[in-house]
Amino acid sequence: MVKIHIDKKPIDVEEGTTVLKAAETAGISIPHLCYHDAFPPEGSCRMCLVEIEGLPKLELACSTQVRDGMKVFTKSEKVVEARKGVLEFLLAEHPLDCPICDKAGDCKLQDYYDEYGLFESQFRESKEKREKKDKIGKSLIHDEERCILCRRCVRFLREITETQELGVFERGIHSRVNIYDLTPVDNNYSGNLAQICPVGAITDEDFRFKTRSWFLKKGESICPLCSRGCSITIEYHPGFSHFGVPSRVYRIQSRENQEVNGFWICDMGRYGYSYLSENRLDKIVINNKEWNIQPTWEDVSYFINQQLKKLDEGKKTSQTVLILNTWLSNEELFLIHKIFKNDQNLERIFFADRPQAEKDDFLLTAERTPNKKGALEMGFDMKPANPGALSDKTDLLLAFGSFLAEQISAADLKKALEKIETKVLFTSHENELNSLFDIVLPTALIPEKGGSLTNIDGKIQKFSPVFEPPGDSLPEWMMLADLGRKFGINSSFYGEFKTPETIAKEIENEVPFFREQK
Amino acid sequence: MIKALGYFIEIIRGIVITSRHFFVNMFFHILKVLGIKTKRKGAVTIQYPEQKKEIAARHRSLHRLMAREDGKPRCVACMLCVTVCPSECIYVEAAEDPDLEMQKYPSKFIIDIGRCCFCGFCVEACPEDAIRMDSGEIDFAGYTRDDLVYDLDKLLR
Ligand code: SF4
Ligand code: SF4
Ligand code: SF4
Ligand code: SF4
Ligand code: FES
Repeated sequence: MVKIHIDKKPIDVEEGTTVLKAAETAGISIPHLCYHDAFPPEGSCRMCLVEIEGLPKLELACSTQVRDGMKVFTKSEKVVEARKGVLEFLLAEHPLDCPICDKAGDCKLQDYYDEYGLFESQFRESKEKREKKDKIGKSLIHDEERCILCRRCVRFLREITETQELGVFERGIHSRVNIYDLTPVDNNYSGNLAQICPVGAITDEDFRFKTRSWFLKKGESICPLCSRGCSITIEYHPGFSHFGVPSRVYRIQSRENQEVNGFWICDMGRYGYSYLSENRLDKIVINNKEWNIQPTWEDVSYFINQQLKKLDEGKKTSQTVLILNTWLSNEELFLIHKIFKNDQNLERIFFADRPQAEKDDFLLTAERTPNKKGALEMGFDMKPANPGALSDKTDLLLAFGSFLAEQISAADLKKALEKIETKVLFTSHENELNSLFDIVLPTALIPEKGGSLTNIDGKIQKFSPVFEPPGDSLPEWMMLADLGRKFGINSSFYGEFKTPETIAKEIENEVPFFREQK
Repeated sequence: MIKALGYFIEIIRGIVITSRHFFVNMFFHILKVLGIKTKRKGAVTIQYPEQKKEIAARHRSLHRLMAREDGKPRCVACMLCVTVCPSECIYVEAAEDPDLEMQKYPSKFIIDIGRCCFCGFCVEACPEDAIRMDSGEIDFAGYTRDDLVYDLDKLLR
């Protein structure tokens, strides 16, 4: 531990810390462009200059280590003057076309100019014209005029993906970032480049001109597209209702989580968000002629209960089949386990999930579903749903999700389902499968509900609702707790479950794995 | 009875006020005819809409979008006007302009005049001087609310 003073504020920091990080711990932010927590300091942008007592020149905060008794000034006249100067040079060749730059609003250069610059340009020469729209990767556009040569992108591709598609070419004022021999940036993590570029030099084609970043609302969530469970930020717009523009998700960004994904997410998780708004089911669908009303969840839950009770009383619970998936949260799987396995001794529980796919050696896992580990630890034996699963006599089928169609061929499924008297499907999307069921209930997706998921390494991660589910959709845990209450064997037990947190507490009480993980 | 008397008094008061204006104005008009200069002038009614008063230079009238030389809008769809508008009555959708110098142009630009409060913030926010409120048009009315929703075709001139 060493004792230093930053802006006269005494702080104790670990030896070997840089001045920039030490200041951060004290709540003092020092402007920086090239430095990123993921990489060792580079010292190329000169934005982080600070004054250190006893040293004749200003020093770089990002690469100077603390010394005992060091006195640092981050806001002295000299420092502010120097920052202005650095900014002036950075902007000398910068196009400042913020009105058409997708980074505007998130751009550090813009922020620092607003904070320290605000000068009139002294350059009389016109700015140099460079390549403004260079497609350098799957979904990446490079603007050479805006690049400040911080080399974050180059370092990312060298150190993180080790694919090295970008380099800095030529020298002096002719330096520019580009790809080698027209080989585009093509790896499953390329989307991170647009996020770490501190300016609008690398922008994302997927987000290009769609909206402005300051219109977007942000919510923290977990990516459910593979079992890694990376931390993400979902950026969405609630829609311009009086112009008939619906709410939608505009982009997904990675969120720092050193225990799981570091600073990064894969491109599959970044660009795979259309499912959140497209083809959503928002009303209860009835495909059974006997129902001549548009029911509410109350009506349907009453009906399901009647069926369950009938089978229970006739000692025929073996004629109930449950098809689950591992997009269900720990809380939901727990409730299902309680109601159907403990209360009803149901044997025929199967899983239908999205099939496994190729993994890579960084974040993406083979399991393209977020909670397989959770289901295993909850005590399910995870028998796969196949035509045989439905071959025995079945009176009631409760299915969750629409992955059944991916595992059983349409013809087989139709044949199997025809013989079943009552079929209820809980699903979030419109799907061909839906027409085969009597009742289809709309459900909420991960960003629309609360709960927790267990990732491939057994880490339990909580998530909270970011936005509302569409129409009449309800989170599964709510419907399940309601069924538990109505089914009546132990209704006071289920009566407690008003929030996902109360269920999570009960899980910790009952399932050792979840207690230990805590 | 007392109530009816009250009405009657008000009617008389009204007549007095109207006649006072009439005679005072008449008096100044007669002085003018006789060639006597006074500081105060007799009031004149403008015969709107046959006759129109000149609009002051800073008056805020119906918006218009400015065009570039080639007829395309100057607007680059930066949406700063959308951001600043307190009535949330502007909606802009951007598209890719093949011209590399421009890159971004508004494929949709809608102002719902029915919601606009004529504050002029959009004009001030625009970095391209693409939107102005100097068309001089003040008589825009419609039979439906949709008549007051102006799109790119109507605004660009
Ligand atoms: S990179 Fe930043 S400063 Fe440069 S044009 Fe884009 S928003 Fe403006
Ligand atoms: S493209 Fe962006 S990240 Fe790469 S060097 Fe230029 S400014 Fe830095
Ligand atoms: S004048 Fe004011 S209210 Fe009307 S469009 Fe412009 S910013 Fe909006
Ligand atoms: S502020 Fe000007 S350039 Fe920007 S969108 Fe509005 S009219 Fe177009
Ligand atoms: S952040 Fe220190 S030189 Fe760039």
